[in-house]
Amino acid sequence: MTALLFCGKLHSMFDKITEISLLHDFYGQLLTDRQQQVMKLYHEENLSLSEIAQEFGISRQGVHDTLKSAEKTLTGYETKLGLVTKFKKTDGAVKKIDDIIDRMISEKNIDKVSKNKLNSIKKIIDEINE
Amino acid sequence: MVKIRLKRIGAKKKPFYRIVVADGRAPRDGKFIEEIGYYNPLADPAEIKVDGDKAKKWIDDGARPTETVRSLFKKAGIL
Repeated sequence: MTALLFCGKLHSMFDKITEISLLHDFYGQLLTDRQQQVMKLYHEENLSLSEIAQEFGISRQGVHDTLKSAEKTLTGYETKLGLVTKFKKTDGAVKKIDDIIDRMISEKNIDKVSKNKLNSIKKIIDEINE
Repeated sequence: MVKIRLKRIGAKKKPFYRIVVADGRAPRDGKFIEEIGYYNPLADPAEIKVDGDKAKKWIDDGARPTETVRSLFKKAGIL
């Protein structure tokens, strides 16, 4: 049995993982090396606090504090700069444009010239998304 | 110990996660035993795919899902 689910509202835990991963993508390089390493293991490799503690030979509490201060720093940058919010907005808008173009391309009576132009626009959209 | 983890793959700004079975002792070398599903938070709505039979088999064999994976499995009706 393969369960395939499409969930509109996921548990906030997942939203939080995604949110923090995005923050890390944008501002991660501004963190200390240790903070970056700990965040990567926690959010990208899904290691537990105690596993990370073992890895670095520090206490579980120490890992927890590192994570919390890193998250606080990242959230602070987002409050000031808002790059993730802007990215999401742009990404959403681009997807909508892409959908509309797809619909136009699949219309029966579309002429070849217009179709080529629309495909060129789609290529540009792909570049924005990269 | 064998664990079931979420593992992020893919490009920056495009979070996408595999659900993988991996040896707990070698979590960082990128190797895993088997991929049993994925979680795509950027799809609208977000998308979870899990091979329920494999997940159950691994758990019966003693593999331990992380908290996050456990919640995903509950969501997918496997646990």
